Amino acid sequence: MNKLQQELQQAALQRDTRRHFLQTCSTGLGAMALGSILGGCDNLFGRDEKVAASIASADYDPMAAPMDPRLSQFAAKAKRVIYIHMAGSPSQLELFDYKPELTKYNGKDCPQELLTGKKFAFIRGVPKMLGSTANFSQHGQSGAWISDYMPHLQTVADELTFIKSMHTDQFNHAPAQLLMHTGSARLGRPSMGSWVTYGLGSENDNLPGFIVLASGGKQPDAGKSVWGSGFLPTVYQGVQCRTDGDPVLYVSDPNGMPRDIRKQTIEAINQINKQEYEEAKDPEILTRISQYEMAFKMQTSVPDAMAISGEPQYILDAYGVDPKKGSFARNCLLARRLVERGVRFVQLFDWGWDTHGTSKDTSVDFGLQTKCRESDQAVAALINDLKQRGMLDDTLVVWGGEFGRTPMQENRDGQTQAFHGRDHHLDAFTVFMAGGGMKRGLSYGETDPIGYYAVKDKVHIHDLQATILHQMGFDHTKLIYHFQGRPFRLTDVAGKVVKGVIA
Amino acid sequence: MKANWLILGGVGAVVALSSFSLLGGFDETPFAARVDFSTQIKPILNKNCITCHGGVKKASDFSLLFKEEALAPAKSGHPAIIPGDADKSELIRRLTATDPEERMPLDGPPMKPEDIDLLRKWIDQGAEWGDHWAYQTPETPSVPSVGTIWSRMGITNYPETDWATSEIDQFVIAKLHAADAPGGGILTPAPIADKATLLRRVSLDLTGLPPTEAEATAFLNDASPQAYEKLVDRLLAAPAFGEKWAGMWLDLARYADTKGYERDPGRSIWRYRDYLIRAFNSDKPYDQFLTEQLAGDLMPHATDEQFIATGFHRNTMNNDEGGTQDEEFRVASVIDRVNTTWDVFQGTTFGCVQCHSHPYDPFRHDEYYKYMAFFNNARDEDVTTDTPTLRFYKGADSVKLGQLRAFVQKTCPDKSRANAEAQRVTLLARTLEPKINSHDFDQLVNASLLDAKYFGVQDAGSARIKNVTLTGRPRLYVAWGTAAPDAQITFHLDNLTGPVLATVMAPVTGSQWKDSVQVISLPNVAGKHNLYLSLASPTKPKDWVMVKWVSFQPVLALPAETALLSLLNRHPEQTPIMLDGAGDLARKTHVFTRGSWLTLGKVVQPDVPHSLPPMDVDDQKLPRNRLGLAQWMIRSDHPLTARVAVNRFWEQLFGTGLVETVEDMGTQGIQPTHRELLDWLATTFVQEDHWKMKALLKRMVLSSTYRQRSDVTKQLVAEDPYNHYFARGPRVRLAAEQVRDQALVISGLLSRKMYGPSVMPAQPDGIWQSPYSGEAWVLAKGDDAHRRALYTYWKRTAPYPSMITFDSPSREFCQIRRLRTNTPLQALVTLNDPVYVEAAQRLADYMLNHGKMPNQQLQAGFRRLMFRDLSPKKLAVLTKLYQDTEAYYSQNPAEAGKLLASGSTSPKQAALTVTANAMMNLDEVITKE
Repeated sequence: MNKLQQELQQAALQRDTRRHFLQTCSTGLGAMALGSILGGCDNLFGRDEKVAASIASADYDPMAAPMDPRLSQFAAKAKRVIYIHMAGSPSQLELFDYKPELTKYNGKDCPQELLTGKKFAFIRGVPKMLGSTANFSQHGQSGAWISDYMPHLQTVADELTFIKSMHTDQFNHAPAQLLMHTGSARLGRPSMGSWVTYGLGSENDNLPGFIVLASGGKQPDAGKSVWGSGFLPTVYQGVQCRTDGDPVLYVSDPNGMPRDIRKQTIEAINQINKQEYEEAKDPEILTRISQYEMAFKMQTSVPDAMAISGEPQYILDAYGVDPKKGSFARNCLLARRLVERGVRFVQLFDWGWDTHGTSKDTSVDFGLQTKCRESDQAVAALINDLKQRGMLDDTLVVWGGEFGRTPMQENRDGQTQAFHGRDHHLDAFTVFMAGGGMKRGLSYGETDPIGYYAVKDKVHIHDLQATILHQMGFDHTKLIYHFQGRPFRLTDVAGKVVKGVIA
Repeated sequence: MKANWLILGGVGAVVALSSFSLLGGFDETPFAARVDFSTQIKPILNKNCITCHGGVKKASDFSLLFKEEALAPAKSGHPAIIPGDADKSELIRRLTATDPEERMPLDGPPMKPEDIDLLRKWIDQGAEWGDHWAYQTPETPSVPSVGTIWSRMGITNYPETDWATSEIDQFVIAKLHAADAPGGGILTPAPIADKATLLRRVSLDLTGLPPTEAEATAFLNDASPQAYEKLVDRLLAAPAFGEKWAGMWLDLARYADTKGYERDPGRSIWRYRDYLIRAFNSDKPYDQFLTEQLAGDLMPHATDEQFIATGFHRNTMNNDEGGTQDEEFRVASVIDRVNTTWDVFQGTTFGCVQCHSHPYDPFRHDEYYKYMAFFNNARDEDVTTDTPTLRFYKGADSVKLGQLRAFVQKTCPDKSRANAEAQRVTLLARTLEPKINSHDFDQLVNASLLDAKYFGVQDAGSARIKNVTLTGRPRLYVAWGTAAPDAQITFHLDNLTGPVLATVMAPVTGSQWKDSVQVISLPNVAGKHNLYLSLASPTKPKDWVMVKWVSFQPVLALPAETALLSLLNRHPEQTPIMLDGAGDLARKTHVFTRGSWLTLGKVVQPDVPHSLPPMDVDDQKLPRNRLGLAQWMIRSDHPLTARVAVNRFWEQLFGTGLVETVEDMGTQGIQPTHRELLDWLATTFVQEDHWKMKALLKRMVLSSTYRQRSDVTKQLVAEDPYNHYFARGPRVRLAAEQVRDQALVISGLLSRKMYGPSVMPAQPDGIWQSPYSGEAWVLAKGDDAHRRALYTYWKRTAPYPSMITFDSPSREFCQIRRLRTNTPLQALVTLNDPVYVEAAQRLADYMLNHGKMPNQQLQAGFRRLMFRDLSPKKLAVLTKLYQDTEAYYSQNPAEAGKLLASGSTSPKQAALTVTANAMMNLDEVITKE
């Protein structure tokens, strides 16, 4: 065993930053039996020793040790992100962007100058203006406007940072979601979580670094591409934890194979692989040994992270979780459990916010209220929960859709609709953030009196992305990857950090 | 560096020198008298200068990208480089200036003195510009000889003389001993691998599958010296060969069974995959292979096969989401075709030229659009039907088409036009082209693009069909439909109140979304006109009439017209193809200012970049279309095509390309380790192999370089960790497809059924949840559950999970290289995915039948996987696993029953299943050794 250890250390030195575990815990390898590795080697993936190289360093090779923790480019205010995406896009005019002027125009024809040169997904001809269907009031010391659709969020108003002047380039769901998460409206670019994982590696060794949870009964419109790794190595893609079946694909042992037998199997595989390494000396074998150990650990740690049975009743009540059912609320609670365990980027998608008013369920009054009822309490609970645990300061929570909704009532195919609905709108919408070094209790940016255009302190999608990366300790212009001969980055060739929202 | 090496070099240097002097063809002297632009100067400029003085930015109007720019006066009014006089050159002065405001690179660390010296020398020598090696036509280099003159004469023994069996080996040995090789040239090649290892390696490489038992026995028992070559010949001739290489090509072609974007609906383009399999199996020469894929539709007397081959560029995505603008996504597809053509066939990253001149390589902004003009005439316009497609009529319809063609040919009054007429009618029936898609109608009143796809109009509505040449085309074919009972459409000439050309009732199809093709007679009108259509629909004024397309055609005799119409109204199987528009349908190509399709600049004509050989040479003028482009690419003076091809095949076999960046041979790519070998292979591929890919592959796999052992010594890991110098054989993890296929072969589950539509083997529930899509994963039945991985249905937004886990790309865009990762999620697949559990159960059955004692059974199982015996140490580990497991299942027979899922509760069988599962997860088993 001693000889092997020396050899391993040698290999580690020779291959420099490749494969962290050689440098940090060779005793574990010497012992090799899984038990000792699982239990007795706290330093094996210890955070401090694991930091090998920053992505900024010149000789950085991401493929050498793709999931090693790495330093950000500068000190990060946010160590982790929970990004809550309301897929379909909630109406800012029913929730946060209070527009009394719009109410005055309710039912009147939309002025022609707002329509000239514009394209909408479904509005045709001249639609009518639609005043807000919600009641607004101000909350907290900050006096944030939050409608009665979100009673729980009203109670945490002072934790929130609203950006009311968001705008985008895309008025269809899939391209707009792609733009929001990958910086490009076309398929094929890495998602924000992938960029962050590429930049920072993973903080933990028994859970994926970038996890996705979906609710609402459907995947987001752009499919798995919104958490895909694009041209980055696939190791950086988001791993979807599912609420039905295996939380991570193939994490369960086959029927009739108990844990002990699985453990023995992996021990046998690794013992033989170790012998193989002695013969073939291919360092890739050492990586494989560690990956099989990690797989074994994930088999317990993933279900453990996903099991909310251990949560006290008051926590379940606070989030409004029914432990028997998959739901957005449960995903919020899971998000907290995951970031607690060192997952760097948790992405929540909730489908069903596309309130066109083609039916009662998709109306901005009834349908939207239902979606708010299902989610409002959980989001507020998540913020409170993180705060109580002292994690809100360095956890950035982002909430928003992919675009906004029109101040006009939708008139699909030129017909008057029976329900109140709003079409997709790219010129104005609201997102809010909490924690992660944001200015608390702030409303940033403004729209015009009817909420049609963002007019003051406009923030583009790329600006929001630049800001999130900034909070994670990255200059968005320097987190780059070369592909097809050109450097790519999340913010493409645009993006400015929104300094005004940063504490 | 080299000077130091000469002075300080000890024993190593002497050894290197002595062998160096014996190698022919490598006469580089340590003190190169002349500075070489491409290898010495260009890298310095790329690294230090070109970000600010190149294709993107030209600070102070000074750029180092092109010679004329670099020598021209800059903003100051003076040139920065004076050829022949470094001291007078501003460039040198600024590099050496002490004032930080002046010193270049601005705000960066100063350039290394030795680099400045090189630049100085280069300017003094005349500042000669050189072309990057990859843009110059390769010449066949002479093959270096190996060993000493005495060993070559057979007088003394020199191991490497015996080792080298091909020219490839001679190049490799020469490079190993070159002065700049690792360890100063002391590495030696590895011995030839044992037969079992070679058998598995070459089988996986050539066919993607491990050998069957019978194939293995035949080879291992064949003691003849030709045994290996016979094996290679058999593998090259195997049907599985085409499947393996088609699989590789699917990544390049971004093949998928869905169209991408939000709805990501299905697309039937599997015939293109079949084309690839047949092309590789029939050893279609690469030049023809290339031409058919880029321009099969334009080849004289194009066959169905050649049309299907153009599916290569119809694998671009198509956006069916409501509200998307077709032109935006049509342009996106054209741009993707340009980039992919360069990536795949030219190993050049052209994408950046879309927005500005190439930052590093000699390509100008407008050259991108000249090149795009070759592709911009394609008729596909992001319509939902994916047209143009090639339609496959069956049975009576097929007979009807033949009769139609013959009839038109026979009855054509102008005999000289008979063939062309028959061709035109056949093309219309087979492809529905030429036609005008209704999204091009404009001046809409009471009308709209329904779901942003097709033109719809309501009562009193109207629209314009612009710029139609009517001369000789008095027949209007329309695909349309409505639910309204008396929807009357009137066609007017020139304006809405202009002369009425025809008034017809739209066909009542039950819904506007269902269309029927009709033909309408128009009066004879000459010239180019705008047409207007208007609708009167009094009974159901709010019902839509939808028009999908219109086509203006010459008159046909009535029987022909009836036959044609009945064919056009069929919905036969079809596959997307490329087809160019002519006449009214020809498009102008503009430069996009800063790359945006919304900001059009000047009009350009099709052409290739100036830094490559011109399309027109003395004896040959090539057509300015895709066919001409393809012919240019395969011309013998083209510097890139053959190099890129051989580099790709090398990478597939050896794990790393001779140019490691297979996607980029430009100045930003990684310099080739073995440029002479690359050029030798490229020129031999063209001149001797006549572009035959099997000959090229055979040449490579017969080399000793390929057949080396892949295990390494500590010295090798230290000196050449990534095996760039090939002093050992390739050792890489199996590709995603191979991981699955191997498990199926070993377990005897693999179906050898070839060709046809994609299949849906078992995958976990809930992977497919696309919004607005009724499509579902329908579990394949029978044999189809165990087809080779390349037949697995490929949904872009939700690809088959285990393939993605093993680094398959999702195929939105062309992916030239797969990066290999090594993750715990991969372990979970091969440990727990039901496919692999089933494979372990079958391997356990096999073991039970091959031996009485556990030891024998385990050996038999391992031999089935690896064709060699387990070492005693490894066997001991597995035996212990077997024993412990058997003990457990003896106590817990119910668990054994669950594991086996076959009714049996045998603890022996359960223990063998667990052991088989372990075996199939061994590093050596999922690695090509």
